[in-house]
Amino acid sequence: MASIKLKGDTSGEITIDVPAVAGTNTITLPATTGNVLTDGAALPAIDGSALTNLPVPAALSTASGSAPSYSARAWASFGGGTSSAGTIYGSGNVSSVTDNATGQATINFTTAMPNANYSVVGMCTGYSNYNSTLMVLGSADGSGNQQPTTKTTSAVKVHFGHSNTVVNDHVGYLTIAIFG
Amino acid sequence: MDKRIVYKNDDNTISIIIPADCGLTIEEIAAKDVPTGKEYHIVDVADIPTDRTFRNAWEWQ
Repeated sequence: MASIKLKGDTSGEITIDVPAVAGTNTITLPATTGNVLTDGAALPAIDGSALTNLPVPAALSTASGSAPSYSARAWASFGGGTSSAGTIYGSGNVSSVTDNATGQATINFTTAMPNANYSVVGMCTGYSNYNSTLMVLGSADGSGNQQPTTKTTSAVKVHFGHSNTVVNDHVGYLTIAIFG
Repeated sequence: MDKRIVYKNDDNTISIIIPADCGLTIEEIAAKDVPTGKEYHIVDVADIPTDRTFRNAWEWQ
C-alpha cells in the first residue's frame, strides 16, 4: 500500500493511504475553503447516497427559557357539520378519519403511537346558532368516571357537540393534535 | 381522494372512512383502519348522502 504523509508543524501527521487494489480512482476536492468530513463519530459521513452518523437533536428549539418542548405526533383538521363532514382539510400522520355517526369521529394514525397514554387536544367551531362547542374523548352516559371510548396506539375517537345537545351533534370544524 | 370506505357497525349503523392524503392507497387504508373482521365496501364519494339530518339512520344496502 502506497501512502502520502503530511507532517504538521508539531508532532502530528496525516497519512493518505492508497488501497492495494487494481484500478484507478479519483478523489476530486471541492474548489472552496472548508473542512473535509470523515466517518468519525462526531461528523456525518457520506455512505453511498445516504448520510450516516448524523447527530440526533436532543430537543426542539424553544423561544426562551429552558423548559423542554415536544412536537405533535399527529394532527388533523376536518369538518363535522352537515355540509363539512367528510372533508379533511389537512393532516399529519393521519391515514383517515372515520365518520362513526353524528358527532363522533375516529382519527386513525398512519404510524402508531408508542403507547396509549398520549394527550389529545382539540377545538371546534360553532354550529348553527351554537357557539359553545366541545370535544370529549368519551360520551357521557351518566355512569361517572367515563373512560375514553377508543384511545389506542392506532386511533382515538372523539365525541363533539354544542351547548344545545352537549355531545354527539354537529359542529362546524374540528382541529385535533396528539402529544405524547 | 374521491373514494370512501363504508362498513357496518355492530348496531347496524354505518361508519364512513374518509381517507387522508397520507401516501397510502384506499385499499391499504381499508386494510389498516377498518375494524378487524368487518366487511367493507369502497364507494365513490358521490354515493354518500350530503343531507346528514338523519345520519344515524343511514344503513348499508
